[in-house]
Amino acid sequence: MTDTLREAYRVMRTIRAFEERVHDEFATGEIPGFGPLYAGEEASAAGVCAHLDDRDTIAGAHRGHGHCIAKGVDVKAMMAEIYGRKTGSCHGKGGSLHIADLSKGMLGAHGIAGGGPPLICGTALAAKQQNTGGVGVAFFGEGAGNQGTTLEALNLASVWDLPALFVAENNGYAEVTSSTWSVASDNIADRAAGFGVPGVIVDGFDFFAIHEAAGEAVERARDGGGPTLIEIKFTRFPGDGALDCLELFRTRVTESGELREQVLDDIDAEVAKLIEESVSEAKAAPKPTPEDLETDVYVSY
Amino acid sequence: MGETVAGIVANPASGRDIRRLVAQASVFPTAEKANMVQRLLAAFAVTGLDRALVSTDLGGISAAVLKALGRGGTWPTVDFCADDPITGTAADTTNAVRRMVAAGAGVIVVLGGDGTARVAAAACEDVPILALSTGTNNAFPQMREATVAGLAAGLIASGQVDPDLVTHRVSVLEVVTKARREIALVDVCVSTSRHIGARALWDPATLTELYCTFAEPDGIGLSSVPGQLCPSPRSSPDGVALQLGPVDETPYVVHAPIAPGLVRPVGVRGWGVLKPGMRVELAASGGVIALDGERELELKTGESAFVELKPDGPWVVDVRATMAEAARKGLLRTETELGKERRR
Repeated sequence: MTDTLREAYRVMRTIRAFEERVHDEFATGEIPGFGPLYAGEEASAAGVCAHLDDRDTIAGAHRGHGHCIAKGVDVKAMMAEIYGRKTGSCHGKGGSLHIADLSKGMLGAHGIAGGGPPLICGTALAAKQQNTGGVGVAFFGEGAGNQGTTLEALNLASVWDLPALFVAENNGYAEVTSSTWSVASDNIADRAAGFGVPGVIVDGFDFFAIHEAAGEAVERARDGGGPTLIEIKFTRFPGDGALDCLELFRTRVTESGELREQVLDDIDAEVAKLIEESVSEAKAAPKPTPEDLETDVYVSY
Repeated sequence: MGETVAGIVANPASGRDIRRLVAQASVFPTAEKANMVQRLLAAFAVTGLDRALVSTDLGGISAAVLKALGRGGTWPTVDFCADDPITGTAADTTNAVRRMVAAGAGVIVVLGGDGTARVAAAACEDVPILALSTGTNNAFPQMREATVAGLAAGLIASGQVDPDLVTHRVSVLEVVTKARREIALVDVCVSTSRHIGARALWDPATLTELYCTFAEPDGIGLSSVPGQLCPSPRSSPDGVALQLGPVDETPYVVHAPIAPGLVRPVGVRGWGVLKPGMRVELAASGGVIALDGERELELKTGESAFVELKPDGPWVVDVRATMAEAARKGLLRTETELGKERRR
């Protein structure tokens, strides 16, 4: 468990540091486009992806950097991608909202909310047909939970009994629209029952709750038990202790004696160095040339 | 009698935990909880209750009730407890119950599972509670139609049925650690899990000690283990204490419905009577203590904890006795002209 905890903390810290840096860099005007950030929701990506391996695929959401990092996409290639450089994960053509790395089983973040759930039904079907034991995981927000694509995917996954996991990351706001105005049943998990899928709700600030629930859901999917919907709530309000998943995690593992402060501090330092290097390397990397426009675009069958 | 008031606390988070995934525990969607609140209110109105205080939440229950209020209908005056900030935690239940006690509620109806009832019980002082099941394990709250429960609560709160006749005081288990004092209404269990995690308990292999206020043979949840081994009725002032262990090492194995959908073999080393006022030290250091089936307290290595059965728990409404009393007094009957004529 200690290795799992150390790795989970590294993933969460990497996401936090990456997002904070991207936030600062966006403000300089040097990065093209738009980049919704995942800071604060790290426990979700880390808690779910801790159970995944090379057989498994994930689809990210609008705020997709965290899912990429948790699934093992190279951080330097990600930063270069966000800078639109040739060394990026998608050779600079995707940017923040289309960042992907199929070699890592990361099918992509999505510019269109609800784009991911149908994709993972495809990979889950492939895993089922080829008997790999693989699982397809879609992360999406509560805004995407209103999209037909998400509901169709839930139906398809249930009727075909696919090894799929739907992770609804509910932070109460679809971009700037409060879910009060846009979501008819306030719990996304309530919708699961309509598709004959188990729907559970966990606290989004608690890595351990997410890790445990996701572990059961992934195991169930691998064993042929079918899909699960986990709603991860980030809608708790300040006033009842810390709501920072990283701080909560640190307190819990150091108090229980599972990890020492020094171990966590060392991870913080290593991550800070990695992020620093990823930015300087991205800035120094070449931009795509006009010839790159047509590469990797057309496929001959 | 002045203004008559009853309270309704509905937990938006109950009945949605991991047991939907690891077992086939029932689903209580927000829409159904909101419907139950409306059924309670409709019944309150029939009893002539003046005012209902309803908890506020961000899960959509109070919002649905507010929407329904706008459509009209025969309800008492409905006020929402909106003076405390909503935290999205158990504190919301505590705050709402305290407001209802302060407002002079005669009964507080609690919609949730064992966990919600436990939190409400710790805050309700001498106001009787009527716990309706919208949760998972439900050893304590009743599976009952909200309309009937609403009639019973309304008749008591409006002073038509004497609470002394139809409520009784239940025992609680008090757990004390260095930093916290908590109660459980049904059971306290020690687990070797390191973390609270997803809260629910579903793997009996991690359990080492179990204490129950009562143990019924037809119970659900951990109290069903002693329920099949050494039953102890709710009416008894005594509880039970069990030492648990791996099934291949213990003299007894009980096949117990420890959660909906989960009948598991549970190894029992031995058991005994738990007398009220007896303070028992829990060997929970470095593990977790679960209250009413949910992991609640993480203990550091070397940290001690105690459990004690206390007779002074919350007052609880007996719906059946209340409705029988209503029948005896004819509270839900009116005599018509035709009836009077027949009697002549």
